[in-house]
Amino acid sequence: MPNLNRIFTAFKDTVATKFGPNPAKMLIYTGVLGWFLSSAAQVMAIAVNDKIPKEQKMFLIPQEIGDGAINVLSFFLVTSSIKALASKLASSGKLATPKIRQFLTDSGINIKTKNGWKVLKDFDFSKFNIKNMTNFDQIKPEYESFKNGVDVIGMTVGSILSCNIITPILRNKYAAERQQKTLASLNKIDQEKVNYPKGISIDVYKKLAAMKYSSGNLKI
Amino acid sequence: MSVFTYLGRNMASVSLNSIGNFSFSRTYDKIGRKITRAVLNSIGSREHLPTVSNPKTIRAIDWIGKKLSSAENRLILGASALLSQPFIDASNKEVDSETRRYSICRTVAKIIAGTLTGYTIRKLCIKSIDAFTKLPLEVKPDAKFKNLRQMLLPSIKCTTDELSQYKNSLGTLLALGVMVFTNFIIDAPLTKYLTNVFAGSSKPGAKKEVENAKSK
Repeated sequence: MPNLNRIFTAFKDTVATKFGPNPAKMLIYTGVLGWFLSSAAQVMAIAVNDKIPKEQKMFLIPQEIGDGAINVLSFFLVTSSIKALASKLASSGKLATPKIRQFLTDSGINIKTKNGWKVLKDFDFSKFNIKNMTNFDQIKPEYESFKNGVDVIGMTVGSILSCNIITPILRNKYAAERQQKTLASLNKIDQEKVNYPKGISIDVYKKLAAMKYSSGNLKI
Repeated sequence: MSVFTYLGRNMASVSLNSIGNFSFSRTYDKIGRKITRAVLNSIGSREHLPTVSNPKTIRAIDWIGKKLSSAENRLILGASALLSQPFIDASNKEVDSETRRYSICRTVAKIIAGTLTGYTIRKLCIKSIDAFTKLPLEVKPDAKFKNLRQMLLPSIKCTTDELSQYKNSLGTLLALGVMVFTNFIIDAPLTKYLTNVFAGSSKPGAKKEVENAKSK
């Protein structure tokens, strides 16, 4: 029988090691997990709903999975990309505080000028990482505090962009097409007949919306 | 493939690399590095490196890194969602005006319900985890469930900030589990109720109907 106490301790230590020093990583992971669980819950809601006919379930379940995939992918790609960029700005020393700049100047990475700081022409920011410097311990507390803040800001900006701008636009497009197709198949009428400007009546929309238990925003 | 998709994928690869030393392929990494270099070079000048000098801004950045938990993050997302999503729905010309009005009401209702429950449950879960992640000196002699107060402490050494982030993470994970159920128990009915309220009050002629009813 597995030792539950050992598993529990290992779980706590993994959370502490993975997320303790890196709060932005935790926000991304739990965000992705949240989107995934939210979509899974919606799929489950349709699957166990007796009021929805079997034929419609066959359509609604893959549709919900598709919707969830858009949410998860958009959140992960956009948010992690912007977080990675913010992270690289701090770790490469491109963006820094005066204390970090002074440390980089003392280490010969930055050059102090009249107006501020600069780097040599051939300096490659993409290869440089402050953490890999031999004297990193001298600036560790200042750097980690600044970098964690920049990471969380990057993550928050990324999630606003993906959850509140990109995903709703994509979803609206996808949903409009989907509704027109559903309406056409439900009423057995030609697809062309339901196109804009006729649109969809509010009663049909409500009927379709009621079939979906919930969708859309980040619920979790 | 669009530039954005290309950039997104490669930046994602950079992020994955930093997370778990994961590499798609050498060529892919090379392309990723080239894009990272191009993006980094396009931000700020090499002759005048961007430096955050304002002490207040530095303190704010530090505070965000240390104190911003998933609960506050959810609140920020909810507030910004209210400022953007209804307008995105309002500009959706692919549906008729009545459907658009109903979808705006539903979006606002979903945001309010989702943010309220999301924020509250996260906060409560983080607080609950905190109550059982006490350091030996923090446990008062007369505290209730004294023996359980340290049960969630990790066995590895952590700094105070790391321990606080650990509590946030564990609290958020617990909240995710709780919200699988509250999604149906609270969110869905609250969204339905709010949608009906908003849809009723935003109906063209709703004011007149109310006035007529009052005069009768």
